[in-house]
Amino acid sequence: MRYSSLRNTYVVDLTHHIAGPYATRLLAEVGADVIKVEPPWGEGARKAGPHRPEQTNGDRGGRFAFLNTNKLGVTLNLKHQRGVELFMKLLDGADLLIENFAPGTLEKLGLASEDLLKRFPKLSVISISNFGADGPDRDAHLNDLTLFARGGWTYPVGEPDREPLTPPGSLAQYIGGLFGAIAAMQSMLARDLTLGYGQHVDVALLEAAALTMIYEPVGFQYSGVVRERAGKRFAVGPFMIVTLKCQDGYAGVQCVTDKQFENLCELMGKPELITDDRFKTALQRYVNNDALLAIVEEFFLQHDRKWLHREGQARAIPLVGIPNVAELLEWEQLTSRKYFETIDDPVLGRIRIPGAPLRMGSHRPEPSRPAPRLGEHNREIFGGRLGLNDRELTDLKTAGII
Amino acid sequence: MKTIVEGKLRAIDLSMGWAGPLLGELLAEMGVEVIKIEDTLHFDWWRGSLSMGPPEMQVIERSAPFNTANRGKIGATLDLTSPRGIEIVKRLVATADILIENYSPDVMPKLGLAWGTLAPLNPRLVMISMPSFGAEGPERNARGYGNTIEAVAGVTGLVGYHDGGQPYTLSNALGDPSAGLNGLFAVLVGLREREDTGRGQHIELAQVEGVVPFVAEAILEAQLTGQVPKPRGNRHPQHAPHGIYRCGSGFIALAADSDEQWRELAVVLGLESLANDSRFATTPERKRNEDALDAELSRALKDLGADETSRKLIDAGLIAGQVHSAADILGDAQLSARGFFVPVERAVVGTHLYPGVAEHFSETPLVADRPAPLLGEHNRKVFGEILRMSDAEIEALERDKIIGTLPRQFTTPKAA
Repeated sequence: MRYSSLRNTYVVDLTHHIAGPYATRLLAEVGADVIKVEPPWGEGARKAGPHRPEQTNGDRGGRFAFLNTNKLGVTLNLKHQRGVELFMKLLDGADLLIENFAPGTLEKLGLASEDLLKRFPKLSVISISNFGADGPDRDAHLNDLTLFARGGWTYPVGEPDREPLTPPGSLAQYIGGLFGAIAAMQSMLARDLTLGYGQHVDVALLEAAALTMIYEPVGFQYSGVVRERAGKRFAVGPFMIVTLKCQDGYAGVQCVTDKQFENLCELMGKPELITDDRFKTALQRYVNNDALLAIVEEFFLQHDRKWLHREGQARAIPLVGIPNVAELLEWEQLTSRKYFETIDDPVLGRIRIPGAPLRMGSHRPEPSRPAPRLGEHNREIFGGRLGLNDRELTDLKTAGII
Repeated sequence: MKTIVEGKLRAIDLSMGWAGPLLGELLAEMGVEVIKIEDTLHFDWWRGSLSMGPPEMQVIERSAPFNTANRGKIGATLDLTSPRGIEIVKRLVATADILIENYSPDVMPKLGLAWGTLAPLNPRLVMISMPSFGAEGPERNARGYGNTIEAVAGVTGLVGYHDGGQPYTLSNALGDPSAGLNGLFAVLVGLREREDTGRGQHIELAQVEGVVPFVAEAILEAQLTGQVPKPRGNRHPQHAPHGIYRCGSGFIALAADSDEQWRELAVVLGLESLANDSRFATTPERKRNEDALDAELSRALKDLGADETSRKLIDAGLIAGQVHSAADILGDAQLSARGFFVPVERAVVGTHLYPGVAEHFSETPLVADRPAPLLGEHNRKVFGEILRMSDAEIEALERDKIIGTLPRQFTTPKAA
């Protein structure tokens, strides 16, 4: 969906892969005018999967189709002098330039942020990178596996006697992208409220991962205790936060308060546990966590996900069945809220994609535009907005600049 | 240097736990004046349970997560079950730019603080509600914490070992930080729209709807391939090696995404025989023989040190990292060099290092080194300076237990 809240915001998008495109996707979704600038051969992750098995060509995979809705797409070869000149014209009047190249790349292209900020006082430049713009590992290689590992997310997950388990997919890249979108909004607020001019923001994915993993480093300093892997349990503590097998899959319960514990005992048909010496207080439930787990485990095995979810929630216990993503697509809570949006993608056909994380109360959103084809809006932007004539456009194309 | 907002905006934070409080904290880092309101009976549950210690221990001032997620806020108390308390909340809201709440959908209307009541008091107010599942829909009243949100959003079902077994919840209750960050983005969008229209609005952020986009690729994989993705453990669909291995007393994560990287990796580890092993020569062969590859690497890595080995690999331009425990992460070379952890002195607990910021502004740095408030710490400031109540009025509120600095359980004798 596409809201129009940022109708007065113009973004030049020089991003690729995940973190950068997710940042600009969020901005486009709330109405910013986002021009995605790709090299004439397409950004690096344009064709990354998933694909339909029968699909043999086309300019995109599923990830690109999701991350780039509501953007306008142009191509420009920035290794060419003429390409850089046109890029400068695009930046004229922009509120934001967002990029996620390796640190130092913009400078090499002759687009150092200090120079751009001088030339375009209204502009802010948002740089998203793995480790940030300085520090000993600035230029090191990194992927999701090592990002989560260093950021502290991985260590406490999995079986105590096995290797720790990394989070799925590219969560940390998405969270880094979210920080990028936030930095973009903050830089405009600072400009309009305090400074009168734009600035550079250096966003680091490693720091984004560490910042969203607050329990460990601070809790460790307070208590001296390192949280270890607790298998199916989130942790061994004065609570029961656990993912357990049931008749038709798995269900998760987060029993934290005294009231939730009492309700769980009622649900299990074992009200006598409420006054049992082993479980009477949160502290005793911590000490006797294994014994409590064994009781809950046996109970879950006797029921299915739907029953556990319904009966648990009826007693105000945070208890849910664990869905797979196909089931998620059909979950009534989301379908009744029209959360997923159907896109007619020019290459992939009809796909259903997650909607906006927010719902603005001021106006209704419009349907999203599919992700642009490679150079789809070259004529509209270079011709229409920058005023180049047909012959100039043809020349640029022949020279491999667009 | 200046902050982003320089105190020119005010937020009222009625939220508890992590999701809403994180949003408030991030606003405070920008220089927004954030007033956190707690009830002295139902104070922020992230402060912990009074039953964990005697009153003189001040248990609720010793919570690491609370003291992290509420840094830089002004702390005041109000009895939200009394009409006088609610009346004062409304007076504060009338002076504010932003209102944050993360109750279940029915609570604010029950308190007499529905959007329809508040909007006429302050047409420029940007209010954000952060229910777990949304204000509408069959599950609107369902209960959920961060882990619950993560589970129903499809994340948990994707976490598990490659050789089978059960799904696992993540380590950080992802639903919470996701909601805090999405909520901050939403509020900033609301403020910018207000610059344009002159009007505030009510924004809804269903926490589950903020997490689902993180698994968009899996959702598309299910649609485009017809196969529901299963947990992959630490493995990668195309590349090998891609795993986590015991390394001395810790663990190391490492990966190679080309044949050259693999050979380089084997050589740096002193495993020339593996570099030349025909079973592992190409990516398809390494994927086919991944169990054998992992066994060889496990054997070779188990007696090395995780920190030195990952440093050696990183310096050779390869993809590696130590799996950091809570203790290790405080010593991460890159985070330390960038000054990520910041010391904060907080009453009752003293000085500790807290996570700093992930965004470095060239002109208006974020400020993350101010402590979280004690319960009711700034009552005088909020009610005296901001609402201009007289000392007598404030004392009356204290006497009637509308405000206070101790949990009401400690100040009200139990009924016989």
